[in-house]
Amino acid sequence: MRCSLGKVRLGVFFLVLSLLVSSCGTSAKGKYYGKTVAPTDGILRYVSGSEPRSLDPAIGTGQPEARIYMALFDGLVDYHPKDMSPIPSLAESWEISNDGTEYLFNLRKNAKFSDGTPITAKDFVYSFRRALSPELAAENAVLAFFIKYSQAYNAGDAFVKDSAGKFLLKEDSAKNVESGSPVVDLAKTSIGTQTEFDKFINEPERLTVPGAEKDRAKLFEKDTKLKDKLAGMEFVPVVAENVGVEAVDDYKFRIKLNQPAPYFLGLLAHQFFKVVPPHTIEKFGKNWIRPENIVTSGTFKVLQYRPYDTLNVTKDENNWDAANVKIKGIEFYPLEDQTTMMNLYKAGSIDAIYNHTVPPPWIREIMAAYPDEYMNHPEAATEFYVISVKKPPMDNLKVRQAFALAVDRKALAKLLVVKKPLVDFTPEGIFPQYEEARKKVQDVKLKELNISEEQWKNRIFDPERARKLLGEAGFAVEGSEGNFQSPKFPIDNVSILYNTSESNKITAEFMQDQWKKNLGITVPLKNMEFKTFLPTLTKVEYQGFGRRGWVADYMDPFTYLGLFYTEANDGATGWFDKKYDALLSEANKTIDTEKRFTLLAEAEFYMMQQQLVVPLSTAATNWMKKPYLKGFYPNPGTLHAWKFAYIESDPAKWDKDVDNIMKEKDPAVEEQLAKLMSTQTQFEEKAKAEMTKTATP
Amino acid sequence: MLLFILRRLLVIIPMALIVVSITWGLVRLAPGNFYSGEKKLPASIEANIREKYGLDKPWYQQYGMMIWNVVRGDFGDSLKYEGQSVNEIIRRHLPYSAILGFCAYLLALFIGLTAGLIASLKQNSKFDYGAMSVSMTGQSVPNFVIGPILVLIFSFGLYLLPPARYNGVLSLIMPVITLAAIYAAYIARLTRAGMLEVLRSDYIRTARAKGLSEWTVLLRHALKGGLIPVVSYTGPALAGLLAGTVVVEKVFAYPGLGSVFIQALLNRDEPLILGIVAFLSIMIMIFNLLVDISYAFLDPRIRYE
Repeated sequence: MRCSLGKVRLGVFFLVLSLLVSSCGTSAKGKYYGKTVAPTDGILRYVSGSEPRSLDPAIGTGQPEARIYMALFDGLVDYHPKDMSPIPSLAESWEISNDGTEYLFNLRKNAKFSDGTPITAKDFVYSFRRALSPELAAENAVLAFFIKYSQAYNAGDAFVKDSAGKFLLKEDSAKNVESGSPVVDLAKTSIGTQTEFDKFINEPERLTVPGAEKDRAKLFEKDTKLKDKLAGMEFVPVVAENVGVEAVDDYKFRIKLNQPAPYFLGLLAHQFFKVVPPHTIEKFGKNWIRPENIVTSGTFKVLQYRPYDTLNVTKDENNWDAANVKIKGIEFYPLEDQTTMMNLYKAGSIDAIYNHTVPPPWIREIMAAYPDEYMNHPEAATEFYVISVKKPPMDNLKVRQAFALAVDRKALAKLLVVKKPLVDFTPEGIFPQYEEARKKVQDVKLKELNISEEQWKNRIFDPERARKLLGEAGFAVEGSEGNFQSPKFPIDNVSILYNTSESNKITAEFMQDQWKKNLGITVPLKNMEFKTFLPTLTKVEYQGFGRRGWVADYMDPFTYLGLFYTEANDGATGWFDKKYDALLSEANKTIDTEKRFTLLAEAEFYMMQQQLVVPLSTAATNWMKKPYLKGFYPNPGTLHAWKFAYIESDPAKWDKDVDNIMKEKDPAVEEQLAKLMSTQTQFEEKAKAEMTKTATP
Repeated sequence: MLLFILRRLLVIIPMALIVVSITWGLVRLAPGNFYSGEKKLPASIEANIREKYGLDKPWYQQYGMMIWNVVRGDFGDSLKYEGQSVNEIIRRHLPYSAILGFCAYLLALFIGLTAGLIASLKQNSKFDYGAMSVSMTGQSVPNFVIGPILVLIFSFGLYLLPPARYNGVLSLIMPVITLAAIYAAYIARLTRAGMLEVLRSDYIRTARAKGLSEWTVLLRHALKGGLIPVVSYTGPALAGLLAGTVVVEKVFAYPGLGSVFIQALLNRDEPLILGIVAFLSIMIMIFNLLVDISYAFLDPRIRYE
């Protein structure tokens, strides 16, 4: 009896052990990771990230919300499923004024909200004004500040009217008027039918000052000249109607910018610029986003919403593009835990997961074992350490350069598996055209500055030069390989600050090790909870180094370079520079892409010469999708245009070797894209034909 | 007794207010706020946000408003989740946590009491050692380890249970077991210790001397006294269980109040934090009161005047 019980126990033990072993390893025998059966109900199941803040596209700021808004709301333009460039959505075509400051959109006439109400240009005017209103207090409003008077309206500013009833102009506009330069050349600055509003918005920019007396007093305290100048004048609040958006007619929507911004069209695909239903919002107020009230404008509409659990959306048959939408609905699961997500994926309960979700220790194995599912593509996201450049010893350029050179980036990338080494500030492999321009600029500058090709190449990792530079800065490195020391270096004045997370810790420990090994300096590590970390970093209260990641808002290098633009910049280094600002301002005024990129590249080169940051890596997408889910691409922002996605039931046609997915042309997707793009290409061709007609009378 | 209960109930209100006030102060002291993100906001946008949520008013006004809200039982809207009231969020997620917590509680009680009783009755037997080593393991293995092990066995080994998310009764099984494990282990140890102490006491010897059957001695006399430590532990524990358990909810992506609470803290979502803290503190105080009342029934020596 005893013996047999022992045997049973032993048997159970081995059963459990074998189960554990068989399920622990990711190297399952199958070709696919876990259960892989194409769903037959046409419903896509996707993990969207943390619980969405709101279903209101003007409110939510993160990627988790963006993924949902991509399904629920349409805007003027949409993201291309592969490269995220702007493609027609509710605007079937558009044209831009010669000076690049005015945009005219021709809207579709068959567009409807989910309740069947037609979508017109007035709805866009309403949506833009609402999103910018100070009462809504949208965090993303800053994205729209290129629209004329939008910032003034959002900040509650006022125009200034003199006793003669004339509005004062902004200084540079006023100078133009005085010097007699043509003030309003509508042919150059405007496009489309001329209206009263168009005339107003094309006038030289007016001066705006804080609308609240208290804030104005503060400004006057600093600027007494201005105070004297404005004494006795009338302050007229900037209202929603002053913002540079206009419904020319029901299907023509016009936007006026305060300066050219060549990436503005791409920015318009952002959630902040989606169209929302005025009638529903006016009726329900803040409750318009409740599932029982919500009316949407996108390819899908809300079916059921259980916060922290599921958001079910279903195809909206009222949508203008409904005929081309292949899936019947999407279930969004708000989940963040990586292991839980992987479990659900393995169990076949979800069809795809979002970016950076395969846990680091699993990546190597998954990457090797599941080439048909694992997405390893460049992403518009970088990681770098910012340097507090105003505090010694980091105020010394040579010290900063030494630290930047003493990091073996290739080894870091290898350690983190899915990262690619980064030596410049903008990410690698995301803006190919810009990278070409940058290469040219670098070649010129290297000659100018007498920097050898080899030295430039070695900036990815050059410990010897790093030690030399540190010595020149007065902190000589003594000792030999494996035992370096820099006894004079004030170690108490530097640290590596990062927000608590496993991967940040791995990187920080790696950096600490690198600097110890190559410079003989052991920089202490400091980690903080995210919300505590943020103010310490952004107010530059840290010493030494701070960990930073930056994800592109739009597909243009300015989304990175703008980080150090103007004195109020968000760079968290304490640095700003007039020359840098001037280069960027000039670039933004330049319409020609190549010239513009050259200017941006010059700015980047100039900024990198100051070594404000230690660039580390460009991220890779790092996510998985089931092979039967097609038309679903690892684009640089991991934002999916849901209307292109479809479920393929025939295993023979499933996606294979997804490393090449961006190069492969899926006829179903290409055809749909061509159809969508055709309205704009036809419009451009027609405009060109007319131009040549008028040119040859 | 009635007076005692009434007095205790009255104390709950000021106590809850004190707890909420301290929490409010701590949240205010913590750096960062609900709208701070990786990107710095322009000052004008920050001013708009502060005005929208009344954060531009002097602190005593804000504090007064907060206390008034708590007294009315209306915590206002969440800062993070636009348009959702705190009461609505608690009402929505409490049932999930309560079901999970209650099931886990019952399971823990059943396993813990049975194991503890048998161990105490057969002290120093193989069963005793066995049960106590298992319970020691249960107590020391954290549930973020137990949970995934269960998932490996039941979801990917036997393909019996869904690995995560709430989708009916089946998805409750693993979270309940995971959650119950630690409590069961602790209850077993408390029961054993409590029973061992009581079984050696004079009144049990008297009962036995009176010639009562062993069952009567055990069930009517010993159990009541032996359970007092268990009751004082499981009362507040039940309050905590019902209100949600962070780790288990995270591991199984279970939409309970625990994950909402943690998220609220990370988001610096003040009204939501205060709402949940107030709710939790009141619940714990009520359960403590129930525990005190039950003492009177369990131990004839305890009387409330």
